[in-house]
Amino acid sequence: MMELDVRTDERGVGVVVPRGRLNMVSARSLRDALDTLVNDGTHRIVVDLAETTFMDSSGLGALIAGLKTARQAGGDLRIARPTPAVTTVFELTNLDKVLRPRESAEAAFDD
Amino acid sequence: MAVHTDVRSTRTGREERRQRAVEALGLTENVREERFDRITRLARALFDVDASTVTVLDRDRAIYPGAAGYDGTPLPRQETLCDRATSEESLLVVPDATQDPRFDSLDIVTSGVISFYVGAPLRDGAGNVVGVLCAFDSAAKMPSPTQLKAFEDLAVWAQQELVGHAERRGARQVQTSLLPDRPLELDGWDVAGLCLPALAVGGDFYDYGVSHGVLHLGLGDVMGKGTGAALLGAGVRAAIRATHQEVVAGGDLGRSATRVARGLGADLERSGSFATVFEAAVDLCDGTVRSVDAGLGLVLVVRADGSCERQVGRGRPFGVLPDDTWEQQTFHLEPGDRLVVFSDGLLDLVDDQLRWWEPVGAMVGEAADTASLLAHVSALAAAHTALDDVTVLVVHRHAGAQGAA
Repeated sequence: MMELDVRTDERGVGVVVPRGRLNMVSARSLRDALDTLVNDGTHRIVVDLAETTFMDSSGLGALIAGLKTARQAGGDLRIARPTPAVTTVFELTNLDKVLRPRESAEAAFDD
Repeated sequence: MAVHTDVRSTRTGREERRQRAVEALGLTENVREERFDRITRLARALFDVDASTVTVLDRDRAIYPGAAGYDGTPLPRQETLCDRATSEESLLVVPDATQDPRFDSLDIVTSGVISFYVGAPLRDGAGNVVGVLCAFDSAAKMPSPTQLKAFEDLAVWAQQELVGHAERRGARQVQTSLLPDRPLELDGWDVAGLCLPALAVGGDFYDYGVSHGVLHLGLGDVMGKGTGAALLGAGVRAAIRATHQEVVAGGDLGRSATRVARGLGADLERSGSFATVFEAAVDLCDGTVRSVDAGLGLVLVVRADGSCERQVGRGRPFGVLPDDTWEQQTFHLEPGDRLVVFSDGLLDLVDDQLRWWEPVGAMVGEAADTASLLAHVSALAAAHTALDDVTVLVVHRHAGAQGAA
């Protein structure tokens, strides 16, 4: 089971926090949440993965799709604080350069 | 009597179509299945009756994929009320067959087995009646409208099971036929693989073949699982296969992978998917391996002395960045070495996913040969109920062999 918190902070950055397992079932709702944010005009998004205990290829797919959508809208999608299990997925797929882990959701758009 | 002839030929035509539909769905084997038994148990409880069956009419016999309160022995078709329910093509409710001139002469009625009968036709996608869900009792009964409504809901469920199952099984057979049909036994080498989809079909595949002394192999994993992933996986496999000639002739794998990725880009983009792929060409004379890793990352060489080396790839998956490129890497397999490539479904099954090469390496080290290694993975997947597709490809260069040279 996964819970998903979505908020927009004071700088207008969308912060999405998936809690639990990010798999084929829950990836759908993450994807929808990211789409909704971009469609509603929030083009800079941080996905805070500190409480994501597991991520499979569908979860990764949702992040990549969100990244593409955000960039097409002129923004970006960044990730923060991935757990070791999630970091492994980024490393194996060599996507740790494309989605470089940031130290916090707050600092994710500092550069 | 032209009118009669027309009616009869229409009936004959309908029965022929029906029989063909039954055969097309592969329902002519008299195999009992729990998923049909389950529905019949509910139907039996719903009416509080002696028995319920899912009945399929196969030529002149009635067979029972599911039954509760009946042992499922096939019966002559003409002896059954389901025959009538099939030809009526609508819900048939018989409160008391012993008082119904349509049925009172049937053996099954005169012998006292059936008085009450209710049967709902089950149709395929084209509307052909391919089966019947029925319930019956030795005592006469008048079902309530609520019971009949619930019964029709059960019939819809049975219909989906009957039709969907055949589609899934057919898809699985096709997908299996896209995998190598046997291990390769070569001079000084053996190659084998295993692909276990979590659902009926999946997005994983592996492939291998030899020509001109070069082994060409690949393993791919399309995002997700199930039918969508399988459709894309078949495309990825075909695209990689098309590079076989050039790869075995010495062509650069980085360049061919880049071209494959370009070709697949639009398909992956539109379906919102991506694919991780490992592909290699192994020179069977000297053990040189040229490879390209598109984000798979799960490649291990277990040396003859038992030590493990990860082959860390640098490439990203196909379908992530539109202008991405891939590079060929090179390593060697010495006599006694084993190359093991697998999909992330296997990661789920090992204890330490962060240091996966240790449990996987140990598993390889403990296996006497390739067949027992694959059997071990198979057992692991079954024991843990794999949630994702599990695919493994193994290349073993035999100890003491100097290859085909």
